[in-house]
Amino acid sequence: MTTTISRPTVSSDRWDPRRIPGGGGLALGVAVAALILVWVGSDGYRQTLVISAATYALIALGMYVPYLMAGSLSMAYSAYAGIGGYAVGLISARTGLPLVVAWIAGPIVAALVAVVLGMVTRRLSGFFLAAVTLLFGMAFTAFLIDAESVSGGSGGLGNLRPLNLLGWTPSHYHVVVGSAVVVCVIAFLLDRLRLSPWGVVVRTMRDAPRAVEAAGVRVPVLNIVALALGAMIAAVGGGLFTYAAGSITPDTFTLNIVFLAIFMPLIGGAGTPWGAVAGAVIAVELTLNFPAVQTSGTLLLAVGVLVIMLVAPKGVVGYADKLRTRLWALLRKERDRG
Amino acid sequence: MAEETLLVGRGLTKRYGGVTALEGVDFELRAGEILGLVGPNGAGKTTLVDLISGAQAATTGELVLRGSKLTGPASRRARAGLARTFQYPQLALELSVRDNLLLGWAARRHASLWQMIVGAAAGALRPRVPADQAAVRTLAEELGIEGLDRAAGDLTLGEQRLVEVGRALGQDPLVLLLDEPFAGSDARGVTGIAEVIHTVQRRGHAVILVDHNVDLVARLVDRVMLLDRGRVVFDGDPRECLASPQMQSVYFGSDADTDTDSGAGSPETQAEVEDVRS
Repeated sequence: MTTTISRPTVSSDRWDPRRIPGGGGLALGVAVAALILVWVGSDGYRQTLVISAATYALIALGMYVPYLMAGSLSMAYSAYAGIGGYAVGLISARTGLPLVVAWIAGPIVAALVAVVLGMVTRRLSGFFLAAVTLLFGMAFTAFLIDAESVSGGSGGLGNLRPLNLLGWTPSHYHVVVGSAVVVCVIAFLLDRLRLSPWGVVVRTMRDAPRAVEAAGVRVPVLNIVALALGAMIAAVGGGLFTYAAGSITPDTFTLNIVFLAIFMPLIGGAGTPWGAVAGAVIAVELTLNFPAVQTSGTLLLAVGVLVIMLVAPKGVVGYADKLRTRLWALLRKERDRG
Repeated sequence: MAEETLLVGRGLTKRYGGVTALEGVDFELRAGEILGLVGPNGAGKTTLVDLISGAQAATTGELVLRGSKLTGPASRRARAGLARTFQYPQLALELSVRDNLLLGWAARRHASLWQMIVGAAAGALRPRVPADQAAVRTLAEELGIEGLDRAAGDLTLGEQRLVEVGRALGQDPLVLLLDEPFAGSDARGVTGIAEVIHTVQRRGHAVILVDHNVDLVARLVDRVMLLDRGRVVFDGDPRECLASPQMQSVYFGSDADTDTDSGAGSPETQAEVEDVRS
């Protein structure tokens, strides 16, 4: 038996302090976001599309940490986005606090709810975790409709006050640009988190929880921390959408959005958080802005997911990365020849 | 030389319903000692490792590590100073060898809830710490692991075991529990693991080495404990164990030639171990 460890590798040590971890993804993400913003211009409908895409992206990014890194599929993200949205609505309608506070209070409340839900469901995984958290999402919608005195019932909350950031009131276009910036910053930070020791521990939980436990980390506790972080990000997205739309109702964030968010990383690529962002942009384009098929955008999305799973199992970003590697190899060959 | 007693087990028993996997096992492990745990399949070796590491709860019995009781879940015991490998390697198969080695070293910084929260913030701001990378490199060199960028899933079973041992060593444990680390290993893997055992010994810490290959274990350890059907039937010098009547009855009593066919027991591997030992 001569299977040994001496298989040749590209480099046994690729650590280079000059390279910024996650920098490549950020550069590409910012470039695409800038192109999209140029395309949008002052077109109101296109601006709405960007806000929708940013919201989808934030919900998908929220799911990225617990679902794709830690491996637990919670479906309560419509509720977390809703909490973020109602935080904006309630603080605007019921308090005199500056509206910015909503983006602090919303994510904190969402994280607390995620912690409680995570503790209750700590013995569940896979299908049963998904089923119970799905029920929670439905129960949350029902609660919003019933608790009229708090949530405004099925009519929801509207007439939001405008944001006031130290005397500056952003225009709608500023909000659109701001949403793209927020998505890029969070995707970049999550990409770095994925590569960090924390990310390594969380990603090991998915395949080898016993090893993580044996290394001294309480797996159920870290799982809940991951769920709370995801809930906070989704709540930021919910708040953003609510502010841009100017109102929120119990139907704003439904289970539909959760199902879409599950597929977004599959479309875009589960390898990095940027895949979730790419998936969100593609999903919004197909479901809301595809001219040929007005009503069957979701069907098109489903077919698209199937095609991508067959052709590019690592998603659009993974496929692009493969093409880039091939292109580099080709260019290097050309250079060596010339 | 009076060596400090590191780990004591008293009356460790594990019952699954009516089946008794382990019955009243007592042992003492001194600092710098390498204890071999041998016995045929089903003797209770892995069960004992699980009871010590906290992967399973003992039905009765207690453990004392450096004078304080060792209780609670595996993670707490790990923080108290235990590290282990698994009979079936538990690696994150999609992650690189580098990241798998990093786990043992980095886990200590994510022990409490507060550390988990701070660790997430610190990780996003500063993902790669040079000290971590240096620690991983040192571990890899010590074990002779090359190709740190390969996915753990692409490794052979022997290489995976080597990475697991490296991950456990990264925890700098007081007691290192190795559950059949040689199964599927080639000569190089055996050398790397033997090196680790001696590294831990040099640090004044202890190793419990589990294997059913008695010949191989006898060459590496200071003392051997022979288990049979959940009971300790011999505890003492490895060479005496090999010649003991208990050994004869446990291994060679009924079917004499069943347990010497694994790869780790091949002649060249044993020669390798002799080299390391001398």
